[in-house]
Amino acid sequence: MPVTKVLTAGIGEADLRDISVYRARGGYKQWERAVRDLKPADVMEACDKSGLRGRGGAGFPTGRKWSFLPNNGKPRYMVCNCDEAEPGTFKDHMLLEETPHLVLEGILLGAYGIGCTHAYIYIRGEFKRGYQIFQKAIDDARAAGLLGKNILGTGLDIEVTAHRGAGAYICGEETGLLNSLEGKRGEPRLKPPFPAIAGLYGMPTVVNNVETLAYLVPILEKGADWFASVGTERSKGYKIVSVSGHVQKPGNYEVPIGTTVREIIEIAGGLRPGRTFAAVQPGGQSSACIFEEHLDYPYDYESMAKAGSMLGSGAFTVFDDTTDWVKAALNSVRFYAHESCGQCTPCREGGHWLERVLHRFVEGRGLRSDLEMIRRVSGTITGLNLCALGDSIEPFLKSVVNRFPEQFEARVMQELTPA
Amino acid sequence: MAEAATEMVKLTIDGVPVEVPKGTLLVEAAKKIKQEIPVYCYHTKLGPAGLCRVCLVEVEGMPKLQIGCNTPVADGMVVHTRNEKVESGRSMILELLLVNHPLDCPICDKGGECDLQDYAMAYGRGASDVADPKQSKPKGVDLGPTIVLDEERCVVCQRCVRFDDIIAGERQLVVKDRGHNDIIATSTGDPYRHNFTGNVTELCPVGALTSKTYRFKSRPWDLNRTETSCTQCAVGCRQFADVRYGTLVRTMSVENDDAISDGWLCDRGRYNIGYLGAPERLTQPLYKQNGQFVQIGWDDAFALWAKAINDARAAGKAVGALGGGRLFNEEAYLLGYVMRALGVKNLDWRTGRQLQASPGANASYEALENASSIVIAGDIAELAPVLWLRIIKAVTRKGARLVRVGACGAAPGFAHTDVTNAGEAAQAVAAEGGVAIVWDGADLALGAALAATFASRSPLAYIASEQSNARGAEAMGLLPTDGGADFTKIAADAANGAYGVLALFGANPLRNAPNAETMRGALQATPFTVVSELFMTESAQAATLVLPAKSAFEKSGTVIDIAGDLLPVNASLQAPVGALSDLEMLIGLAQQFDLALPTSEELDAAVIARAAKPLAAALGEARYATSEPLAPSSSRSIWDGGGTCAHDDRIATLRREPVKVGA
Repeated sequence: MPVTKVLTAGIGEADLRDISVYRARGGYKQWERAVRDLKPADVMEACDKSGLRGRGGAGFPTGRKWSFLPNNGKPRYMVCNCDEAEPGTFKDHMLLEETPHLVLEGILLGAYGIGCTHAYIYIRGEFKRGYQIFQKAIDDARAAGLLGKNILGTGLDIEVTAHRGAGAYICGEETGLLNSLEGKRGEPRLKPPFPAIAGLYGMPTVVNNVETLAYLVPILEKGADWFASVGTERSKGYKIVSVSGHVQKPGNYEVPIGTTVREIIEIAGGLRPGRTFAAVQPGGQSSACIFEEHLDYPYDYESMAKAGSMLGSGAFTVFDDTTDWVKAALNSVRFYAHESCGQCTPCREGGHWLERVLHRFVEGRGLRSDLEMIRRVSGTITGLNLCALGDSIEPFLKSVVNRFPEQFEARVMQELTPA
Repeated sequence: MAEAATEMVKLTIDGVPVEVPKGTLLVEAAKKIKQEIPVYCYHTKLGPAGLCRVCLVEVEGMPKLQIGCNTPVADGMVVHTRNEKVESGRSMILELLLVNHPLDCPICDKGGECDLQDYAMAYGRGASDVADPKQSKPKGVDLGPTIVLDEERCVVCQRCVRFDDIIAGERQLVVKDRGHNDIIATSTGDPYRHNFTGNVTELCPVGALTSKTYRFKSRPWDLNRTETSCTQCAVGCRQFADVRYGTLVRTMSVENDDAISDGWLCDRGRYNIGYLGAPERLTQPLYKQNGQFVQIGWDDAFALWAKAINDARAAGKAVGALGGGRLFNEEAYLLGYVMRALGVKNLDWRTGRQLQASPGANASYEALENASSIVIAGDIAELAPVLWLRIIKAVTRKGARLVRVGACGAAPGFAHTDVTNAGEAAQAVAAEGGVAIVWDGADLALGAALAATFASRSPLAYIASEQSNARGAEAMGLLPTDGGADFTKIAADAANGAYGVLALFGANPLRNAPNAETMRGALQATPFTVVSELFMTESAQAATLVLPAKSAFEKSGTVIDIAGDLLPVNASLQAPVGALSDLEMLIGLAQQFDLALPTSEELDAAVIARAAKPLAAALGEARYATSEPLAPSSSRSIWDGGGTCAHDDRIATLRREPVKVGA
């Protein structure tokens, strides 16, 4: 079984929160090397050549994202997105609490690579413990001269500020995050302009996921080619998969990209005895389900898209034959209706409408016209929204209504016949 | 889009080739071919927000539908606003907007001029699959003294929130809560109150925000609309006066009025209309006999007035007329014409703090926006509210520097420098770029100092008048330029019994003149005093003859605004029976003396010629000096002036309380 420990190496074996333990295991070596021997362009080039893609959900090539920054002399910002709130995703949470110095080293490398002197990490409000651990990591690294003013005596200044969110899923959307970080209402911004042009405080900004930035450390250590040698044609390297649902050993598993869906289920201990497989939601709550026919697909960005879903943030939820799909659909839609910021129409009204309809289905009071409406509306809302949240309402719903229509039809109220 | 050479872009919208400047948004480009792209959150003056998603269009080569409000044109772009894909997306959006909308159109004030109603009819599905009860939200929320909010009707386009932030610079309105529970509220929970609140009722594309003064008063199709100019202050905003069966029920801004109002109205201009139908309006001439006013006819009034003038001349007493800053140009011109024909030279439009109304050269309001530095002297925000919006725009959106000289009222909530004299102002302005001076015309020494200090920068100069047509009165010659006495000397001499007849037109010096006490003595000591007024003001109480006047909504004429534009004011309303315009009063008086009057063509020609005449040489010019020193008086708020506000209970509540800083 291809479980490979790259970022997860040492977790559960040593107390990586202790800076001396982390350094004893080779930590901050890459940061020291970068500061002393590498130019920012070298870090940027390594990132680009490794083929690293954003691990937060969209899978956008990180090197390309960095390359959009204009050379206009304005200050640049690196913002690390640790607002991990996608149901089923719990990898950033683990990295933050278990190996905070790796995350910090990644942030520093990223900041150095794009020429930023003040980096931010936006930590989900509920991660209080993670915030405390990370803040201590910042303090310890500062005491060791690894960040702040005149890093390692080289004259380089990079500050890192940890900011706690106030509890909204939408603040994980990069422009919603930037608004929230600026102290404004957490609402996604209208794009263009994109953050690379006008982001935090109107300045050129890169927002990268925790896992994405953490991978910069092994990439610099072992080389971009080492990372690019793993994976499939366009999806390179490793991925922490948060496996949950109807498996015997749910948890975070780091695998080479391209490991098949079937293998990942087996890594997580397989299905419970006596149960048969129904579906997998491979990329978090906003992804569509994939089914038996996709079990041997490699788990990479392209294959998941081909299967009609996406790799997303790597939240891998397994469903067996005990699943009540109507309840599951309600659960999913209710989440989005609750988390909609309410800015734009399809998300605000559509999510709430579908939630109420599905609620009736769960109670056995569905209408036949509702089913037609669900099919019609769930095929239309996507693509009409300002941000991705609204586009996330329907993929799961649509995939299960189409796959398991009988479960929905069984909840349609018996039509009253005139006496 | 202010670049020197605008690059043009060619594209095709619905098969029609269009050529527009680079950077134009599709919603604006489509207007060129008169093709409507429906919008809720987008507004020309507020820019795109991308929230309502109703402006969907298809751009060939892009897989998803695009929003027309945030998609700039590109060369060779092929856009469809009417095909099946667009219509399906758009009708989906409209269907979603109606999921929780109460559809209470029959009792909604917006019905008949509602964008949701119009677009749902034009582009909607016409049927609904909603089987669940609609969400219940607060209705009839008292948002402040002017506005009532119906949360159920709100489509969360945030136009009101953005207006409050971008245009008014107030940031009082916010969206509270989240998702389908979104509500509009003030961030602090305090009443929504500033000088421009009424604009949000016009920006609101649905019936969520309505004016208290107009609620449940009318249907749009019952209104007779007249386009006119606002005469509540000297800015002269274009506005619509909407009359229902003889009552003025509301005034509305003119959206494309870029030159004057920029599409906005202040709350005083919008809401101070209640006085028009006040029961205490004067409708018959009143003559004081033995200390009591008795009602008389107009013929008697004119005869008494003429006799008083003849008596005064016979007794060797002086005759004078004050006021004119609230008259139309035609009236002001005729006042000077008639008085001079009768040998009266003691004429002065000035009765308040303001001494000068015309600056050295005309400058447009739009030019003010583009100045790099704006120097203000006086409470400009209160004197000329909609002009103040331009200053907000210049400072907060175009990077201008604001310098306030002396007492300028409450400090604005954005960057500014306060200085005490012109010399310091010269230090505080930007070293480069245009300078604009906006002065209240009161302290001549300060005006002259500003003019001298900034002469090398060729500044744009504006005088924000206290009275709506002070510039007109000045241009029409209501100044003691030919050897007459100015208003301070008239008051002083009259108080010493030197005058036989004193007439006041649209002036209430006993309430707000800096020399009010001298004026009181003047009115008491003069045997015959005439006051033309709408109401029994303090000055009217002290008069011998009170003439009931028509309001600015009840007569037609022209005024001159701060920028020097000649603006039309069109009658929208029938005056109360018995009231005459000041023009008609002057004609009545002239007839008593068999004076030959100019024909209406001659009058118009004279007004136009005088409006176009060269102005005073500079700010603070010596010839505007008064012969008697004026006592310093505190700056007045627009809400105190005129006296019409006193006759509408509601207006008094609109006044913004001074913001307490600290403590």
